[in-house]
Amino acid sequence: MPAGHQETSRAGALGKPWGTIGAFLLPSLLIYAAFTAYPAVRTIWNSFHRVLPRSDEAVGLANYAELMRDDIFWRSVRNTITWACMSPLIEVSVALLLALALYAKVPGARFFRIAWFTPVLMSYVVVGILWLWIYNFDWGPVNVALRALGLASWARAWLGDPKTALASLIFVTSWMWVGFNMVVLLAALHSLPREVLEAAELDNCGWGGKLVYVILPLLRATLLNLVVLSFIGKMKIFDLVWITTKGNPLWATETVSTYVYKRAFEWTTFDLGYPSTIAALWFVIVLAAVLTLTWLFRLREKLEY
Amino acid sequence: MAAAKRAALLLVLCLYTAFAAGPFVWAAMLSLRTTTEIHRNHFAPPNPAHWDKFAEAWFTSNYAVYFTNSTQVVVSAVVILTVVGSMAAHCLARYRFRLNRVIYFVLFSTIIFPPQITIISLFQILVQYGLYNSKLGLTLVYVAIQLPLTIYILESFFARIPSDLFDAARIDGYSDWEIFWRVSLPIALPAVATTVILNFILLWNEFLYAVVLITEEANRTLPLGIQRFIGDTQEDVGMIATGLMIAIIPVVVIYAFFSERLIQGMTAGAVK
Repeated sequence: MPAGHQETSRAGALGKPWGTIGAFLLPSLLIYAAFTAYPAVRTIWNSFHRVLPRSDEAVGLANYAELMRDDIFWRSVRNTITWACMSPLIEVSVALLLALALYAKVPGARFFRIAWFTPVLMSYVVVGILWLWIYNFDWGPVNVALRALGLASWARAWLGDPKTALASLIFVTSWMWVGFNMVVLLAALHSLPREVLEAAELDNCGWGGKLVYVILPLLRATLLNLVVLSFIGKMKIFDLVWITTKGNPLWATETVSTYVYKRAFEWTTFDLGYPSTIAALWFVIVLAAVLTLTWLFRLREKLEY
Repeated sequence: MAAAKRAALLLVLCLYTAFAAGPFVWAAMLSLRTTTEIHRNHFAPPNPAHWDKFAEAWFTSNYAVYFTNSTQVVVSAVVILTVVGSMAAHCLARYRFRLNRVIYFVLFSTIIFPPQITIISLFQILVQYGLYNSKLGLTLVYVAIQLPLTIYILESFFARIPSDLFDAARIDGYSDWEIFWRVSLPIALPAVATTVILNFILLWNEFLYAVVLITEEANRTLPLGIQRFIGDTQEDVGMIATGLMIAIIPVVVIYAFFSERLIQGMTAGAVK
């Protein structure tokens, strides 16, 4: 009898009062359906149509066919993928070095941690304007410093030169996100079992050896997580480009996001179908890339253990 | 030798700090100087400091409007998010039912969606329902884009509350709603605070959805206002810097008080 009683009380707490469950979930599901699911489906529907302000016309795969021949689109894909592949490498490796430096018990570690994290809290709008000034040809600190060092010939309009524009923007996002990655890695380092690191020390394993054979394998999960996170973030990048270069010069910094925006709201074609096609294809590419990345990482995990 | 190594390490750390924080210090100095002064020397300290530039930006450059709009939109979005998100998170963490994990996964997976997949249609939909160019429309969209992260953070916290507590509350005759409101939520207050602060900052900085869904001057949020302001006055570096500081200050104040909580929230998705 007591067991039976307990059974009912458990069922009460964890069972299926559908009314209550529905009431708790309904607001979220409604918002999700109206502002995420429905728009996403509608974008895919749009991608097979010419969508003008007052009329829709089914065009089948014509938009997709046009997209395959669209050089600006492929240029923007190349830029975005370059960005999404370079950034994780730079951010995570610099962050790891900084985290290791702070891990070595330096005075003021708390202050450094808080200061380095600051850039990521600022909007891309603010960051973009600041770096427009930093890269300014006449009086930006970069060129001023170069001229002071006697390297005046290196001074250039960093964001105006097609050769340096994209790299300069990648540098800005790295500046922004290194602190974030560092904080995550520092937390992961602190959660490592101390004995393992001390054992490595006793074995007279040098710093390099300790890093490669002990620390990196132990931080694997966190490192891969950060790589994926940074990758996803850069595949979406819009604000920074829009504030600084708008994709110029000569499409050197055009990203998929900015191109979609231009085709939807700036070019006077008034057609929302074609930009939806870009969005739909890009959605599939991002999804496939993220799934492949996580799958690859899982696969390697299985092989190693 | 060890001391020299240590000093070198400290030097590197200080240099990196200057690199990470320098731009903000520079912008703060620029915000207190007039553009004429700035063009004489871009790196001089603000002497004398022109505090009145803040009043000028606030009253004559429309920053009061932008600031009020941002506050209205962001605060209402955060309030709705907190209530709606914690209800869903509590439900997903507490009740066992079929579809539970499916719903969780569906809500959560939107985190990786590129915004373009919804933004064009959102524009169409909001135009259709008369919500285009309105603060209400932007607020609802903001709730939708932050909902997955909010539910993710809260669900993992709610799931760790021991279920004995709920059994006890039920025996005491609490209803389902009371259990959520008077047991779950108070215990989860630290996690709720984290999502509130995090959502506030992320939405305060949001630009893409705002630029697509708002065009009217009277409804512009701060990031849009700043963008417009640089469009109008390319060369007025001093005033632009003042505008930037107005946008930054609330974030800095929050960070000063809640740095640990904010760091925790930002990194919640990355730590395993």
